[in-house]
Amino acid sequence: MGRLPDWLPRALAALLVLTLLAPVFGWAAGQVGYAEPLENAAEATGATDHATATGAAPFSDYGVSGLGGPTGTFLSAVVGTALTLLLGAGIGRLLGADADDGR
Amino acid sequence: MHIPDGYIDLPIALAVGALAVAVLSLAAKRVNGEIPDSRAPLLGVVAAGVFAAQMLNWPIPGGTSAHFVGGAFAAILLGPHLGALCVATVVAIQALVFGDGGLVVLGANVFNMAVVEVYVGYAIYRLLAPYGEFRAAFAAGWLGITAGALSAAVQLGLSSAFEYQLVTTLAIMGVGHLALGLVEGAITAFVYRYLARARPDLRPDAVGEVTA
Repeated sequence: MGRLPDWLPRALAALLVLTLLAPVFGWAAGQVGYAEPLENAAEATGATDHATATGAAPFSDYGVSGLGGPTGTFLSAVVGTALTLLLGAGIGRLLGADADDGR
Repeated sequence: MHIPDGYIDLPIALAVGALAVAVLSLAAKRVNGEIPDSRAPLLGVVAAGVFAAQMLNWPIPGGTSAHFVGGAFAAILLGPHLGALCVATVVAIQALVFGDGGLVVLGANVFNMAVVEVYVGYAIYRLLAPYGEFRAAFAAGWLGITAGALSAAVQLGLSSAFEYQLVTTLAIMGVGHLALGLVEGAITAFVYRYLARARPDLRPDAVGEVTA
């Protein structure tokens, strides 16, 4: 494994700031009501009732059962960001030039 | 724009999902062995940034809110093929871990956000970049997300749950995202300009990555 790039600490700090902002934005969006065009289209055509939940996601709706909204949102943001970071970096390494050399 | 299960007819979901898998396989093949070791963490950081940014729901007075999707942003910063793999990673985690978007329609959501938005956004960026990178990034974000929404609208409008009201779904999702996409375009342009100035070495053309 090579040396970590010099920009990584600042990038990780920026990610931390984004996760801290998630509960704030979640609260603010809740104040105006959350509706995307997809939901508006579903309402206009009567499709809303057709939505089904397949499987059980561990952090359903970006929350944690037993925890309050903002705390659950923050934890979900941290877990999701960390998971995506690790998976993305793993894919990057898997497709990397050095991985190819080792084959 | 994350479609839940039950909204799209199964044959459409399967066909679009297969298309998404085919495009992502080709994307992986194009970049395989082309990413320098030092650049591998960038894919993870951009994916994580897109995930975290998607959790920020921007409240818009009038009873709506929008969030950044980041397809064009990832494409401009990483190149289209890595950008597609990056956004696909985000969409998959959102569905599997957070229940945001259905599992049966996961392929359709990946197609709309990680394929259509990424490649259309990137094409617009490349087309307009000679006239100014900032405005090219803005248009890429704006029209990329609109293209992704139109793709979703076609799938929904051809499905029984939406009573085959294709014109309605196209109108609502197309116009809606054309307006909300201005936020996407602005974030794409400002963040990309900041990164391009602060770290020009992170640009895909700075390391000779496969970009087309």
